[in-house]
Amino acid sequence: MRAPGAEPGRPELLCGEVRTALLHSYDPVPHSSAAQLLKLRGDAPVLLSERPNLHARSPEVLTGVDCVLPSVSGARTRCVGTVRARACVNDGRVLQAAGYFGVAVAQGGERRQWSHYLARPGTVETFGRLRHDDIVRGFLGTGQTAAGVLDAGATAERLLTRVTAHPALDGNRRVPFKSRRTRLRWTARAAPDGEAVIEGFTLAEGGLRTLALRLPASTLAAPGVVAAFCEDIAQHDWLLTNLVHLVERGRLGSADRARAVRSLSPAIDQLLHLWMPGARVAKELSPLWDVLEGEPGFSRQWQTLVQRIRDQLALHTISLLHAERVPAEHMTTH
Amino acid sequence: MTSVFHETAAEPQTRSVPLSHVSLELGHLYMEDFAGGPERLREHFAKIAPWAETARAAAAAAVPRGRPRISTCFLIDDYFTRFSSPAELVPMVLEAAKESGLVIDYLARESACARAGETDVARVVEQRLVESPAPGSDGRRPPAGEVGWLSNGARTPGTSPLDVPLQALSPRTPWQPPRETAARRHSVFVDVELWDEPEQRRVWSCPFLAAVWQLARLGLLRHRGEPLLVPQDHPGAFPEDWDALPSVIRLNERAAAFSAYRIWSLLPSRFLPVEHAVRVILEQTEVEPGPLAQAAERAMAEGITLPEEIPDRIAYVFLPES
Amino acid sequence: MLLFSASDKGGTGRSVTSANLAYRRALSGDDVCYLDFDFGSPTAAAVFDVPRVVRGVTSGGLHSYLQGDVPEPMLVDVWADTEHEALRTRPLGSGRMVLLPGDSGGGEFALGHDTVGRCVSLLQRLEEEYDLVMVDLSAGRSYAVDMVLAATAQPGLAELTSRWLVFHRWTRQHVIAASGLVYGDRGILAAGVGHGHDGDELREAIRFVRAAVPDPEAVPWNQVPAAQVSWMRKCDEQLMDLAARLDAADSRRLGTVPLEPVLQWREVLITDEDADSGVANTATRDALVELAGKLTLDEEWGER
Repeated sequence: MRAPGAEPGRPELLCGEVRTALLHSYDPVPHSSAAQLLKLRGDAPVLLSERPNLHARSPEVLTGVDCVLPSVSGARTRCVGTVRARACVNDGRVLQAAGYFGVAVAQGGERRQWSHYLARPGTVETFGRLRHDDIVRGFLGTGQTAAGVLDAGATAERLLTRVTAHPALDGNRRVPFKSRRTRLRWTARAAPDGEAVIEGFTLAEGGLRTLALRLPASTLAAPGVVAAFCEDIAQHDWLLTNLVHLVERGRLGSADRARAVRSLSPAIDQLLHLWMPGARVAKELSPLWDVLEGEPGFSRQWQTLVQRIRDQLALHTISLLHAERVPAEHMTTH
Repeated sequence: MTSVFHETAAEPQTRSVPLSHVSLELGHLYMEDFAGGPERLREHFAKIAPWAETARAAAAAAVPRGRPRISTCFLIDDYFTRFSSPAELVPMVLEAAKESGLVIDYLARESACARAGETDVARVVEQRLVESPAPGSDGRRPPAGEVGWLSNGARTPGTSPLDVPLQALSPRTPWQPPRETAARRHSVFVDVELWDEPEQRRVWSCPFLAAVWQLARLGLLRHRGEPLLVPQDHPGAFPEDWDALPSVIRLNERAAAFSAYRIWSLLPSRFLPVEHAVRVILEQTEVEPGPLAQAAERAMAEGITLPEEIPDRIAYVFLPES
Repeated sequence: MLLFSASDKGGTGRSVTSANLAYRRALSGDDVCYLDFDFGSPTAAAVFDVPRVVRGVTSGGLHSYLQGDVPEPMLVDVWADTEHEALRTRPLGSGRMVLLPGDSGGGEFALGHDTVGRCVSLLQRLEEEYDLVMVDLSAGRSYAVDMVLAATAQPGLAELTSRWLVFHRWTRQHVIAASGLVYGDRGILAAGVGHGHDGDELREAIRFVRAAVPDPEAVPWNQVPAAQVSWMRKCDEQLMDLAARLDAADSRRLGTVPLEPVLQWREVLITDEDADSGVANTATRDALVELAGKLTLDEEWGER
């Protein structure tokens, strides 16, 4: 049984995973170097954008797959096609790699010539029934993806490794602070009433986040746009995750304020200016950011953390000034 | 949805090329054929001529409306061996064709399929290869590619230097046959050598350059959005040096466009294995979406339905050798 | 920081001491990961008491990763997965403690295509996240040793801080063997130079750790008959001499871990609870704490 209006070959469902990491470099890399890192192929250019922030995006690469789709029910639905992967560097500091694909129903029950699949890049075709719920729940599951099951995260990981291994980074690889990687698994399927909604956003263990979307058919037809939205969410979730971690490790409020300020300096130098939710999100998806701002309140938490850091800095500065002035006052009384 | 702000470096562009209905390739010769002199060339074109006529008629019949645009072309092998000079050889070829009533609209050099000007054309195509996955490929392991080779299925396990069993005490596995992925019950397994590197110099194989050539004829070759192997006008006298000859030259001012929706190659039958290899390569080449969409849209406007799979746009006539 | 644990022979307490050092660093707030590169006989999971991976994992462990079968190796969060009672509640202010197990039935394996490249990528990636990356290497001049020497000589890793601990027991044979492992013809230094390391820098990055050392002046050894005590003292002095001659002397020694009865019975983490309750010797705990502290003290490593 197919969803009403579904037709063979047209993706009914999008799935993807974004991995976000600190770029291996002490200082943010210049925009031109980011372009060099992301030059995965000679024939297609790296896309460079400078407004409203520095963003470099690699050309997409395809990986062929012939395996089964994720599932919670244990259904072994075979799929054949290609998974897209792309990487981007934001403000020379944050590296992201994304793997994503659309799922469509195949016409006929046999695998076709490979060129058939290359004519639909980024789509896998399934033989047999497409159980959206089962696939979505399977894909967003927190467990490890079993062998033989389509793994979009693996293609993202390989790309992340490839960019990270670029010799252009050698010589400046010490990172300014230890950071945690995050993985955002996302799915998008048709919205019954044509309105974009977030069905769920979950923080799981080990840096895993899941995001389930419902989108109008016109947006589903532009997987790159949906992937860009998810990259934006992933980047801001990564920023929050790492700022929280840095503040925790800095033991704010403990007696040794100088130490706390010292441990926070990488955050001040490297992270605080990166917050720009929705900077590269298509207009039709930007209302979804407002939803996340309402709950869990990304920017609210970020602003609170930033304010705490600034307060610490201010208090530290005052105490330094005070420490300088005290001996001076002693001088004048004598 | 339109936006008021644009950045050119952030938006991919693809330049389009003019397209004929059909491009006919009037045979192909090795250097030893040229060494056979004008007589050998005349023989070649005399054999091609009736089939070229048939192909032209069949192609014209498939054009739904308007005058059929059909161009002809010929590829000279100056890559593997250099023979004579353009000044001497090109007029000889044109003359021999003319005697059989054939007009060569475009002449191309095979070495331009490897490198044209500053562009490593063959590398551009190599980077667009997406290997057909064997059943069980889940994206976790990179395609089990052999560097410099491309097959149409799964090789016999354990024959690759890359999959040496690394772990001590791994059991030896018995021999397994290779398998064509799209086999209809029985396999026709092909493993195509794309290039080798004697003395650190990359030498592209004949099938790989032929695949590049067919993509150029289909108008699907781009480098950073710019078309490659774009025909230039006949320079007057032909030069003494092959390198001085443009990649593709237009010999007939009134010729229809070089690239076409569909292409025919009329070839001596000894080229069958090469063209089989070309299909193996093209079937695993991801063509840029820009030029693909441009060709499809224009064809549609002319009432023509293009096969979406690239190998299906190529037709062959294999001719007897003697 | 990358820290490699090597030993010439098995039974030197290399794995158990390394695991204890990792544990101590995590307690002090560092994010720590521990890689079980003891390909022949994985023991780390037993020390951290993670039963589900105690014999390695069936797939997706370090072997699978290094051979390119999986894009990333499996990680085990020790605080969450351990069965060790004292470890189940993660202490306040402690860092993460993560184990990367080997594959069961992995066995020792030869350097294959791109194995070194994958090793480089893995260590770079862990260095991005963890304060301490501890790599427990198979005993002897193993492929594991060779692989990490090749990896750390690559441009993408050479600039990161790598340090080596060479464990040996306090006997004549062990001292000679450990010295041979470092300075011998096919030892770490020679192999490292062969892979492109600077010999002097590599030499400065290697320190010896004496493990399971009986102290003739402490209980129970000082309670044996006087003749035995003086014999032991003499042995101890001779070993000092020998070590000095073999360049494994005090200047090259990072620390000494006393002979610990608990570790004679079972490879475990020595918790503060063990020490405070008298199950383990406080001297052992103190030695581990001191040694863990020295791992990052630059002056202990000939650096200013």
